[in-house]
Amino acid sequence: MSDTQLLKGVLPMLVLAVLTERESYGYELVTRLQDAGLDDMSAGTVYPVLNRLERDGLVASRLVASSAGPARKYYVPTPDGTAELARAAQAWAALGRTAAALLGRAGTLTTASPETTPAEEAS
Amino acid sequence: MTASPRLSLRDRIVRERYLQRFSWAMQDYPKNARVTRELRTELTATAAEVGMARAVADLGRPRVLADGYLAELGRPVPRWGTGGVWGGLAVAALLFLSLAYAAGTLDTLEAMGGGTVEHTTFGAVTTYTSTADAISVGTEATWRLLVLYLVVFLVPYLLGARVWRAWARPARDRDVARV
Repeated sequence: MSDTQLLKGVLPMLVLAVLTERESYGYELVTRLQDAGLDDMSAGTVYPVLNRLERDGLVASRLVASSAGPARKYYVPTPDGTAELARAAQAWAALGRTAAALLGRAGTLTTASPETTPAEEAS
Repeated sequence: MTASPRLSLRDRIVRERYLQRFSWAMQDYPKNARVTRELRTELTATAAEVGMARAVADLGRPRVLADGYLAELGRPVPRWGTGGVWGGLAVAALLFLSLAYAAGTLDTLEAMGGGTVEHTTFGAVTTYTSTADAISVGTEATWRLLVLYLVVFLVPYLLGARVWRAWARPARDRDVARV
C-alpha cells in the first residue's frame, strides 16, 4: 500500500490489529507492519499514532528490561482498544464492500476482496 | 534509562542533535518534554539493534515527525513561541522609535544652541536636555505608559500565538457533535 492518505486513515486500526496479535515495542511494531506488506512504513509514521492511541487509552504500555540497551516500552491494546478495533474493522469491511460494489460496477475491480479486512490480513 | 552507556560519543551527538531539532519543532505540543524523553529512550534502544544512523533515518526529518505528532492531536494548538517573537518584535520596534525620536529631539536642541524640553506621552513626562555640559533623556514611569507597552506586546503576542486555538475542540468531538 503506497497511498499515504489512505494509509493514514487506517493505520491506527492496523496498529491495534498487530498489537492484538502480540505485544510489541515501537520499532518492532514498525518492522512487523513492514513484514505484513507495508514496505513504506517508517518509525516516523508509526510513533505519533502509537502516542495518540496511548493518550486515548486504546493501548497500554509497560517497560521491559533489555540486555541490549535501555528498557523497552511494550504496547498492548486495552479493552477499549479491542472494542475500537472491532468497531473499526466492521466499518472498514462495510466500506470495502461498498467500494468493491462501486468499482465492480465501473469494471475496474480486479483483485480486491471486499470480505477481507486489513485486520484479518494482518493476523 | 534515557541513555545507554554503550553509545559512542558520535551516536550521542547525532541523537541529541536530532532531539534538539525535534523538541524545538514540538514546542507547542502539550507535555512535549515527555514525548521527547520517550523518543530519546526509543532511539537509544533502537540504535542498539540497527545503529544510531539507521534509527534516526527511520524517524525522518524532525520537523515532519513533529508535524505528525501535532496532527494526531486532532486540533490546532496555539503557537506560543511564535507569539513571543511577534510580541518581542513589536516592543523592540516601539523602543527603537522612542530612541529615534529622542535622538532627533536632542539633535534639534543642539542645533538650536542647547536647552531643555519636556514632552508628555500617556502621562509620562520625558525631559530632553542638550547643553554644552550634558546630554540626557529622562522619563518617569507611569501606569499608562506601562499599559501601552503591555498592549503593544500582548496584541501581537496573542495574534501570533493564534490564541483562539486554545479553545478549539478536537476534530473527533466536532464530528460526534455533528452526528
